[in-house]
Amino acid sequence: MTSKPNVRQVGVDLQDSEDSRALVEAIEEDNPDVNLIRMPGLVKMQIPGQLVIRRETVEQRMGREWETHEFQMNIVSYSGNISEWDDDQIVIKWEH
Amino acid sequence: MAKAKLSMRERYRLLTRDLDWEPTYVDPKKVYPYTRYEGIKIHDWDAWDDPFRLTIDSYCKYQAEKDKKLYAVIDGFAQGQGHLSLTDARYVNSLKLFLQGVTPLEYQAHRHFGYLARHLDGPGARFAALCQSIDELRHTQTEIHTISQYNKYYGGLHNWSRMHDRVWYLSVPKSFFDDGLSAGPFEFLTAISFSFEYFLTNLLFVPFMSGASFNGDLATMTFGFSAQSDESRHMTLGLEVLKFMLEQDEDNVPIIQDWVDKWFWRGYRLLGLVAAMMDYMLPRKIMSWKEAFELYLEQQMLEGLFPDLEYYGIRPPRHVEQAITEKEYMSHQVYWILYQFSFAASFNTTVPTDEELDWMSGAYPETFDRFYRPLWERARRLEEEGNRFFFRGLPMLCQTCQIPMGFSEPGDPSTLSIRTSQFRGERFNFCSDGCKWIFDREPEKYVQAWLPVHQIYQGNCGGTTIPEVLNWYGIQDGVDNGEYLTSPDKANWDKWHTGAVVGGA
Amino acid sequence: MTVKALYDYNYPSKDRPELFGDDMLVHVMWANNMMFCSAACFRAPKAMSFADFKSQMVDPWAASDPDYDPSSAREWQVNGEPFGADSDVSLADTGVGHKGLFSFRT
Ligand SMILES: [Fe+2]
Ligand SMILES: [Fe+2]
Ligand SMILES: [Zn+2]
Repeated sequence: MTSKPNVRQVGVDLQDSEDSRALVEAIEEDNPDVNLIRMPGLVKMQIPGQLVIRRETVEQRMGREWETHEFQMNIVSYSGNISEWDDDQIVIKWEH
Repeated sequence: MAKAKLSMRERYRLLTRDLDWEPTYVDPKKVYPYTRYEGIKIHDWDAWDDPFRLTIDSYCKYQAEKDKKLYAVIDGFAQGQGHLSLTDARYVNSLKLFLQGVTPLEYQAHRHFGYLARHLDGPGARFAALCQSIDELRHTQTEIHTISQYNKYYGGLHNWSRMHDRVWYLSVPKSFFDDGLSAGPFEFLTAISFSFEYFLTNLLFVPFMSGASFNGDLATMTFGFSAQSDESRHMTLGLEVLKFMLEQDEDNVPIIQDWVDKWFWRGYRLLGLVAAMMDYMLPRKIMSWKEAFELYLEQQMLEGLFPDLEYYGIRPPRHVEQAITEKEYMSHQVYWILYQFSFAASFNTTVPTDEELDWMSGAYPETFDRFYRPLWERARRLEEEGNRFFFRGLPMLCQTCQIPMGFSEPGDPSTLSIRTSQFRGERFNFCSDGCKWIFDREPEKYVQAWLPVHQIYQGNCGGTTIPEVLNWYGIQDGVDNGEYLTSPDKANWDKWHTGAVVGGA
Repeated sequence: MTVKALYDYNYPSKDRPELFGDDMLVHVMWANNMMFCSAACFRAPKAMSFADFKSQMVDPWAASDPDYDPSSAREWQVNGEPFGADSDVSLADTGVGHKGLFSFRT
């Protein structure tokens, strides 16, 4: 287990669709500690501390251009706080 | 020469700051008259930051794409007779409850965010409210399209708008939202954006959409996930707005704490309907209410969010321990209410199957076999004897949440909880300490509650007999209501699945 | 605390006693029977005797449970206080009050 009791979890829930596949792979690549749970229709990704989604990794996986705004096509929900969302990356973590 | 594309941050700044101006010949307090009387102090609206940094072009582009995808699925669902691939027609009852309860709330949210898009002082906040207002209208529309798919084949969905204004169990979501709409803008944002859409949304939508997927309901899963993709924006707004208010002035903290306390309990009581749906109305279960509560509320919110809010001096909501105690039995108490009052509901209820009873024994080892299995077994015996159990009368209602007072003393499922307050010499009744506390804060507001039972007794609901009231509700007796096993939904489902040629409905 | 508003906020109760004329709302709870998910609410004349209230309103409701025996209802309480239910007192004189609560056990 990588999770220490004092490190709080954050996470995102994505639609379990063909479109999300490359995204899930990119998130796994950039967040090696991520824990992936499949629920009907959903992929739930949780990680202690912070979760990052990088445009470059997603683009490599998808083989096309991808802007971070497009993330909202796949997201169902998240837990944590969106601490950064710019052209290059989205970072979810607790602030305090 | 082509200009370099502006960054997201820059485009968002231009839209939300550059297009705004300070009023000079009208007092700003007259332009924005509603943002002071609640006691919330805002010194710098520019400190508002929307992490999504949406601009009009990208908003329109992605919303159009979402709609295109959604309506393609709904068309496919209609053409492929998707309603026949559900796990069971019984499933549709959870959908009925959800669509009857939620669709009108989406529309109310659309209206009220439109109002906020005009009346908040800060341009960033106004733009976020504008996007949300349009989103909520989209949700209303997608839900109506889903209603129209199911309405062709199943009872209970033909009259959802009127029912929302009249039917007893729908007064629960309606009064919840009306409570928010009739508050000031900051309380509304705390109630709906923070409490409902950030704090409680995962408990409301995620298990339900997964349940739809698991029960073969592609149409609902698709509108649900499509709406949820907007919801992640609404969640962000909810958390942002709360932090923004907390950071602006220390005097805001106690006011917000009170609202967090109030709207936690209001929202939690409303979720009782979701708890009942998850445990009883989904033929194939995804997780129990208790598990969902532990994951989404205890783990994500109490262990995740609240340590963050502690930084601002906000503690976990008042009465949350009672909700934690209730996770062991709350869904059973709510569905037991729905079961015995479904003669007046626009959906059907029935005794769970043996497999389901066993599943519940496993999911609720502390309470189910001891308190609830005997009730269900007796209800089944009565049903088999041709004496289906209904509560032959009208229930006592909670003045605040408006749910029949079927909740127990915390930790003691066999004793009903009844709290009372006196106000201006009149007695008011509550289901819980939480609901009483909310009333006692603002009795002048809640004395005006339109309690369905009392309205029937005042003669305001079409008459005093059950058939008259059902008629006034727009519920067709013997078609939309009552026991599932003897319902037209069940008879049709069996007919459609006998292997005989299916022609028409 | 009171409601914060931009104007004088003062509205009558929606269920104030006057709206029920010579009647009142009364709740009844069968305390030790979980078959009934909640107490029941009745509209009854204030002048009705408790005995009539029981036989004309409470008994038919409680008979939703086919095992109900009207003679077995005992340990009556009115708003949590012991109450001798055999009396001929009017509902108004029981002290239950508008929207008050009777309870019994079997
Ligand atoms: Fe919505
Ligand atoms: Fe929303
Ligand atoms: Zn209540």
